Amino acid sequence: MAQTLPYQQLTTCYYALTAVVLPVLAFAVNFFLKKGKAAGWISTIAIGATTVFAAIVFKQQWNAPLIHATIPWFTIGGTAVNAGILLNNLSVLLLLLVNVIALPVHIYSMAYMSHDEGFSRYFTYLSFFCFSMLALVVVDNLVLFYAFWELVGFSSYLLIGFWFTRDKAVQANKKAFIMNRIGDVGLLIAIMVLFSQYHTFDLNALFSADGLVANSTLTNGLWINGTSTIPAVWQYLACAGLFLAVAAKSAQFPLHTWLPDAMEGPTSVSALIHAATMVAAGIFLLGRVYPLFSVHELDALAIIGCFTAFMAASIAITQNDLKRILAFSTISQLGFMVMAMGIGAYASSLFHLVTHAFFKCLLFLVAGAVIHEMQHIRDENKLDFDPQNILYMGGLRRKMPITFITAVIAGLALVGLPFTSGYLSKDGILIQAFEWSDTKAGVFKIIPILTLITSWLTAFYVARLVFKVFFGKFRLSEVNPGLKLHVHDGPWKFNVPMIFLAICCLFPVFSLNPFLYEHAWIYKSFLPSNFLERMNPYHTIIPIALNILSLLVIYWAYAVYVLDKKLPLKQNNWLFAFSYYQWYFNEAYQKVFVQPVLAISTGLFAFDRKGIDGLIHFFNRIILWVAKLSAAIDRYVVDGFLHFVVALVRQIGNFARSFQTGRVQYYLLTTVVAIVAWVILKILI
Amino acid sequence: MNLLTLLIFIPLLAGLVIAVMPSSLRGSFKYITLLTAVIQLVLSVLIYLNFKTGATHAGVVHEDQFQFVQKLPWIRLNLGGVGDLQIDYFVGIDGVSVTLLVMSALVMIVAVIASWEIKTNLKGYFILFLILDMAVFGVFSALDFFLFYLFYELMLLPLYFLIGMWGGPRREYASIKFFLYTLFGSVFMLLVMVGLYLSVKDPVTGNHTFNIIQMMNPANYDAGSVFSALSHQTILGMPARMVGFVVLFIAFAIKVPVVPLHTWLPDAHVEAPTPVSILLAGVLLKIGGYGIIRICAGIFPDAAVQSSYWLGLLGVISILYGALNALAQRDLKRLIAYSSVSHMGFVLLGIASFTAEGISGAIMQMVSHGFLSSMLFFLVGVVYTRVHDRDIYNFRGLATLMPSYTLFVVIAFFASLGLPGFSAFVAEAFSLAGAFKSANTNGLLPQWMAACGALGILLGAGYFLWTLQRMFFGTPLLKGGESWKLSLTDINWRERSALIPLAFMALLLGVMPSLVFNKINDSVLLLVDFTRQFIK
Repeated sequence: MAQTLPYQQLTTCYYALTAVVLPVLAFAVNFFLKKGKAAGWISTIAIGATTVFAAIVFKQQWNAPLIHATIPWFTIGGTAVNAGILLNNLSVLLLLLVNVIALPVHIYSMAYMSHDEGFSRYFTYLSFFCFSMLALVVVDNLVLFYAFWELVGFSSYLLIGFWFTRDKAVQANKKAFIMNRIGDVGLLIAIMVLFSQYHTFDLNALFSADGLVANSTLTNGLWINGTSTIPAVWQYLACAGLFLAVAAKSAQFPLHTWLPDAMEGPTSVSALIHAATMVAAGIFLLGRVYPLFSVHELDALAIIGCFTAFMAASIAITQNDLKRILAFSTISQLGFMVMAMGIGAYASSLFHLVTHAFFKCLLFLVAGAVIHEMQHIRDENKLDFDPQNILYMGGLRRKMPITFITAVIAGLALVGLPFTSGYLSKDGILIQAFEWSDTKAGVFKIIPILTLITSWLTAFYVARLVFKVFFGKFRLSEVNPGLKLHVHDGPWKFNVPMIFLAICCLFPVFSLNPFLYEHAWIYKSFLPSNFLERMNPYHTIIPIALNILSLLVIYWAYAVYVLDKKLPLKQNNWLFAFSYYQWYFNEAYQKVFVQPVLAISTGLFAFDRKGIDGLIHFFNRIILWVAKLSAAIDRYVVDGFLHFVVALVRQIGNFARSFQTGRVQYYLLTTVVAIVAWVILKILI
Repeated sequence: MNLLTLLIFIPLLAGLVIAVMPSSLRGSFKYITLLTAVIQLVLSVLIYLNFKTGATHAGVVHEDQFQFVQKLPWIRLNLGGVGDLQIDYFVGIDGVSVTLLVMSALVMIVAVIASWEIKTNLKGYFILFLILDMAVFGVFSALDFFLFYLFYELMLLPLYFLIGMWGGPRREYASIKFFLYTLFGSVFMLLVMVGLYLSVKDPVTGNHTFNIIQMMNPANYDAGSVFSALSHQTILGMPARMVGFVVLFIAFAIKVPVVPLHTWLPDAHVEAPTPVSILLAGVLLKIGGYGIIRICAGIFPDAAVQSSYWLGLLGVISILYGALNALAQRDLKRLIAYSSVSHMGFVLLGIASFTAEGISGAIMQMVSHGFLSSMLFFLVGVVYTRVHDRDIYNFRGLATLMPSYTLFVVIAFFASLGLPGFSAFVAEAFSLAGAFKSANTNGLLPQWMAACGALGILLGAGYFLWTLQRMFFGTPLLKGGESWKLSLTDINWRERSALIPLAFMALLLGVMPSLVFNKINDSVLLLVDFTRQFIK
């Protein structure tokens, strides 16, 4: 450690480091061990130990002054880049949360994946994910943050495509990685902007309460940091880049489409990564860089978060795939968190992140248990149906009571009914949204109202899911009367994690007062930025109105799906299709981005072959032509002249030779003729 | 004995040994070559370990700060009134070259291991290989322009024959294309070299000199000589120094290769046998980048900073153009060839920024790309030797058939697309960071160039992941059916022994980039400092 820390802090650091390193050790052991059932226990024990360390760190560090410890990593030019850990409330909370979610999921996975050929590969990947995620939350600088940010995405890639022989899974993981890469590019650009403005990567130096970012200002279109002044547009770019990063990881519009597809991975993975932890990394990033955002940028966050929440909820109400419903629900809830960040409800956003992690993880574990049984039915009866389709389920509450009860608790928390954790965190966001909109122009009222509507939509899709899966009759049996059904709750490795998570969905874990979110310990520990008086009528009206209507919505869903009343809304109109086809985002992206890029790339390759190489070949031909021409000149002009001379000489020679006959008479005659001619000429002249 | 000289000429010795050995011993040629390469690696690591860092060992423009120097008078010819013709055997290294030597030595070993697949005319093959080997180390060490040029040209000949004789079906076309392209650049380089020779005088002896370091000092130029900065001579109406720079740049840009001078590369790669592809991508492309740093920016820093905008632009174009072209390929080897174009674009962009981050990133990228492109071409060779096909659409589900092979492919692909933890990430991130910072510090490159360069990272993910999806995942389906399935055995110990060191180095440099940065930092800072005075 570069600087000397007090003994207590130093041990905390080492505990935190141990917590990060243990999963990577498990990864390494599993990686080299290859096959075998030991992998599950190795990873689980590692994560168990990590949880203990994380708990110790949490206990020592919660509400304590932050610890920042670094060692030199490398020097590039004049910049020394350090590697280190930064422990404050935000990081220790996530350190603990990730572990507390990961441990039950590990235990659950040992049963869930027990018959899979890739059992040890699964745990290898899972440990690697835990390492990346835990490292992400404790690192202290932007380079390392980016590194683990992307490694988290990479482990998600591996796990989504875990069953790599399935085409859908492989397409989904490619999509997820590329979508996340868009976010990574955004993050990279933001880091570059921050680096060129502040010349450091250190998170603490940049974003602490009295850090560089807090002390720089945006005035008159300039971004001023002490002596360095650059146009404000770079600040906007940095925020836009960070937003892209958040949107990619936390599945916000416009980069949300990968998350539903990511459900191709094993359900336990969806529970850990695509519901509770990795997707929360975007919110965590927002929490880390919060001081950078200006008021208008926060408004933009609020708008996008709110829109995403509404959009995803509106899609979730019509989906039939159990995991897809939950995926859209995750997108929607993440939208709430982003919106909460945007409206300045920093504490509530993080609080909701924590509560959501528990109930959403639990819902996925429930889904996994149900799907497991459905697959069992399918394999036992040699049928061919989609085991994730809720239309085939029904009446499972009697056969799977523990699963059912935990599902209901998680569902209620997701809806946000009283006595659950979700009530505390979500109502806080709603109330603050109303308060926030009071300080804004009238148009901004749309945001809290849309949020309210989203809450009711949430109530509806949760109710629909629970009723379709657990109530009524088992629909497959109605079609196939002779069906063999051996449906029951899972083994203890299923139930213990689920029960544990269900307990964590209840209010006592977070606040002794089930109705006041301000009393929640997580909320109190983050400096709430807008501490309005409790006197405000919103604090009473909104929870009451919200919950009463939510209950009505749930009853309505009960009437429709259990009592088999007719749905008042038709299913064959464009609205239904719009929701069912997920607002056509995938199709639009395919048309607007994917196909044009492929067309451009094909076009450029043709240009490469025909254009550049064509030019080269053209030169080639010209040179060959010139060469032929010069060869022709050589042959016909230069050589031709030579041949001409030769021919001329030969002709003359031939002519002269004709005199050389060898006969004396001719010679005499010639002599006489010559003399006579000469005499005549002499006389005449 | 000077370590550097030993490093350069050991291959020549081995080549001679092979040349006099009877053909009946041809089985041993590859072992002799391998031994040579291993000795070279040991030597280069020794050089690396003994390489001193610190501001007094920065090199670049200070002749006395170079290390492992050997300077011997080579050609001395009394030219009467003009003075002596002074050509030295002058080798030495500084931070710019030291890491490239180690990288090249390791890549050589991998190339030798890949040469196991060569079955015909072994004697000729390994002799040419060793000559090429010598020339490569010569180029990275030569500090006399004449010597540099000699080694530079000496690389061409063996490569021409290596591609033309041991290559694929269109080898004649590819080899002549490669040869002419490169020759085109180097012929003009010769003219500039002579011009520089006639302009520069050794301050000690008063003779004209080919000494590269002395060419960097404006005081050594004869007043009124063609390349003197003060005389403002022109060639065809353009400033002479700019012409000199552009000509040298084109010569090296062909080697890098920079779009639009790149089209020899895909053809050469596609036709070349695996080991030659490895050398080509792993080592020879780096000579282009090295030449731009050492020769172009060193001798013509004024012209270099003036044209940095265009260099950066060409870098960005190479990044995007190469990546988009890679996306359009069906032939796996051609895809990787275009990805090389894209990755080498980062080198040019980093250099063009003339910031410490950018140039360090560029050198790191050269080292990193040396390992990764070797690994990629080796991996292509694995499939090609087994079934003699490389069309992406003729394969599916290789992950099931060849799990270990796929593991290495995944490592190589992800490392190449810049996954953190691997060297390419550090390299690309800092090339871009340097390019981005440039606007703020020296005003050479606009920020959008770095932003566009970052898009290359995105496209990189696109073509690599798409290839993984098409070729390796899914249920196995091969064009060649059962016979292919039998041929496609998983990688053997020999192939592993080539791949593991490469993967390990990529990982090591990704986790501990200081292994490179520590050695190069002083030289880079000096170079940046040196060029800064020319920025107006």
